[in-house]
Amino acid sequence: MAKPKNRLLFSKNGRACYISHLDLMATFQRVFLRSGVPIWQTQGFNKHAYVSIALPLSVGYSSDCEILEFNLGDDMPMEEVPARMNASMPEGIQVLACYAIETPMKKLDEIDWTVTIVYDNGVPEQAIQEITALLGQESLVIQKKSKKSKKCYTEIDLIPMIYLWEMQLSEGGIQVHARLMAQNPGLNPSIVINTICEQCPDAAPDFVRYHRNEIFDGDGKVFR
Amino acid sequence: MANAMNGKLERILLRVQKPARYTGGEYNEVIKEKSEVDVRFAMCFPDTYEIGMSNLGLRILYGVMNEAKGVWCERVFAPWGDMEAELRKAQIALYALESGDSLREFDFVGFSIGYEMAYTNVLNMLDLAEIPIHSADRGEGDPIIVAGGTCVYNGEPLADFIDIFSLGEGEDVTLEMIQLYREGREQGWSRREFLRQAAQVPGLYVPSLYEITYHEDGTIQKITNTAGAPERITKRIVTDFDKSYFPVKTIIPSTEIVHDRVMLEVFRGCIRGCRFCQAGYCYRPVRPRSVDVLVQQGIEACKDSGYQEMTLSSLSTSDYRPLTDLCDGLLEYCDPRNINLNLPSLRADGFSMSVMQRLQRARKTSITFAPEAGTQRLRNTINKNVTEQDLLQSCRTAFEGGCSAVKLYFMLGLPTETDEDVIGIADLAQKVYWTWKEYAVSKSRGVRITVSTSFFVPKPFTPFQWEAQISMEEYHRRVELLNHAIKNKSIQYNWHEMNTSYIEAVLARGDRKLGAVLEAVWKDGGHLDAWGEYFSFERWMNAFEQTGIDPDFYARRERTKEEALPWDMIDIGVHTNYLWREREQAYRSVITPDCRVKCMGCGANCLLPNGVCDEDRR
Repeated sequence: MAKPKNRLLFSKNGRACYISHLDLMATFQRVFLRSGVPIWQTQGFNKHAYVSIALPLSVGYSSDCEILEFNLGDDMPMEEVPARMNASMPEGIQVLACYAIETPMKKLDEIDWTVTIVYDNGVPEQAIQEITALLGQESLVIQKKSKKSKKCYTEIDLIPMIYLWEMQLSEGGIQVHARLMAQNPGLNPSIVINTICEQCPDAAPDFVRYHRNEIFDGDGKVFR
Repeated sequence: MANAMNGKLERILLRVQKPARYTGGEYNEVIKEKSEVDVRFAMCFPDTYEIGMSNLGLRILYGVMNEAKGVWCERVFAPWGDMEAELRKAQIALYALESGDSLREFDFVGFSIGYEMAYTNVLNMLDLAEIPIHSADRGEGDPIIVAGGTCVYNGEPLADFIDIFSLGEGEDVTLEMIQLYREGREQGWSRREFLRQAAQVPGLYVPSLYEITYHEDGTIQKITNTAGAPERITKRIVTDFDKSYFPVKTIIPSTEIVHDRVMLEVFRGCIRGCRFCQAGYCYRPVRPRSVDVLVQQGIEACKDSGYQEMTLSSLSTSDYRPLTDLCDGLLEYCDPRNINLNLPSLRADGFSMSVMQRLQRARKTSITFAPEAGTQRLRNTINKNVTEQDLLQSCRTAFEGGCSAVKLYFMLGLPTETDEDVIGIADLAQKVYWTWKEYAVSKSRGVRITVSTSFFVPKPFTPFQWEAQISMEEYHRRVELLNHAIKNKSIQYNWHEMNTSYIEAVLARGDRKLGAVLEAVWKDGGHLDAWGEYFSFERWMNAFEQTGIDPDFYARRERTKEEALPWDMIDIGVHTNYLWREREQAYRSVITPDCRVKCMGCGANCLLPNGVCDEDRR
């Protein structure tokens, strides 16, 4: 298999949030074909456009920094790709840039999130303090379901995976600016929220929105 | 979809399976500026998104309406059980995917109904939309409820719930109805007056303007048209199929659907006249599209969708005269682009096999045929003109090409069927096995022959519309008989569950009295009845008992020629006398030649302006 040499940076917002990872890949395969952007196709029995989307986004989450890898054919300049593809997109997905791969994917270390914690009946009085105390510990070990482990779960410590968790009161809830470990292993912010629900039941939210703002490498530089 | 995408819906969507079914926003979805729209039409499909989005008719009407100035057609599908429960709990009325607006805000709510088991969904969707389910209870502010599709050729069980039935092909009549609605609004017509005027439009049937009286035995005494409505309503057809609208630029779902591919409609109607087939009579006359138009539509549809699969759709694609030319024209585009071309609905004959082999880029490992009956005598009775020789020859070609699985579809309970015919199915499957033994290129992998039987349901507007369905006990006996007759381990036998087919038989030839049954089933929680997860036979039987209606009266009773049938006010173009003649031919096991060999004068040609069907347009 040819190694992908191009990346797309794209956003996924609004109604598109509910498109699952697998459906999103199928959608992109079709968008490439219908927008006339030349893409390398797999050479197997059922030839299809090869696309790979890094760090799948959970259904319902929004993002401004998704990465898709593919191989662009020779006969189209990269800067033409976003406009071509955006004309054939479902609502809510927008290609922001197309460029050659320079940094390997494994350098992607951090994801910057906005987590909106919603309380229907106002923010509980002690919520921010309780969450601050919970996440301010030296370590916070939780059990995570695992397919690999014999015990069916593994223990992970959340604290070293949370680089930043800044909370601010906002209308109807708490707005969190978080910076979490991206991969190997990655930390989904819903795990932090679930831990809050378990350990600080008074601070359990009624609803939570998750949004990826940006991705970074280990040196704090924006990852592309 | 700003409206429904409020906080309530956002929370629900994360709790239900496959939420992308409920959001809209797909590529090619039509969004219009409300200030430029004066008629809003909610096109409802009484089944899930995956099924509904695979329906070509829905896509055609969506396109036709949205191309019209001032009209905005949006889509609505039946929510799955989990979503329905959430919607009800959060008190969110059923909404259209494009705008997110509740159905109550529309001028028209139209249902496309393709099978009887969707009837309870129609009631359920109206209720979810907070629209009164009974036509008689709706007032001036309520949308006009319309229904079309194959089922509404006899929509009588739904007569209490639907304001207007649209008969036949909706491309033209839907726009005429919308135009009439505008006129009515200008003139200040009441709802009642609009319906009376609509009844004057050819192809529109307003059930409330017809009074039905019954004999003591429950059969129909008289159908009386009132308020100037015509005595009979003739279905509408598109006369020039080359010029009629086809959706080359159509919605591409962002989530997987059943038919996730380009569909190309090669022709409408069917020349064959299989006597059990409702579509074969209702879609007459045959109207093909020309090769040039189809190739162009196919290429444009592929380009605009990004699909890598295309399927040629019709009732019997092998009967398209220039099929080879069409395939060549499409392959020229498809082959270099790795687009697969599929031909379902092929007959088991040499021509079809050669076309199929041509299309095969990869070796086909499985092939499907529908002989429908096990003996030649019974195949003649149902006018399924496939011979055993054709079938075995086709299997031989397939086996020689490396095919190692054959699926055979049959019906049990066909009129005049004897035990000999039932056992004939096992014999035929055995002969397919011997053919494999003799001609298979490689026997090491073995062969899988699957025999499937369904339970025959007599349908209106077929020569078998007067027939009784056999009892469930008898069906079961025949299933057992066949099951015991199949001894070969390479032959697997599947039979269709009989309860659904019985209810289907009741509804298919039902009259207005069944409205009460539908309502009782729905009130008892019935919906999504086409799905095994939701269908409950007990619920239906309870409803029959509760309403004092004998289901056998509809399913298991043979009608006489003289009996007035519930759908007698509907004219599909094919004469009732012709159907009766065909029934007599069936009992003599005499074949009727297809329309091309000889015109038998069914009457459908009169629907065309020049009175000639299936002209050779090559």
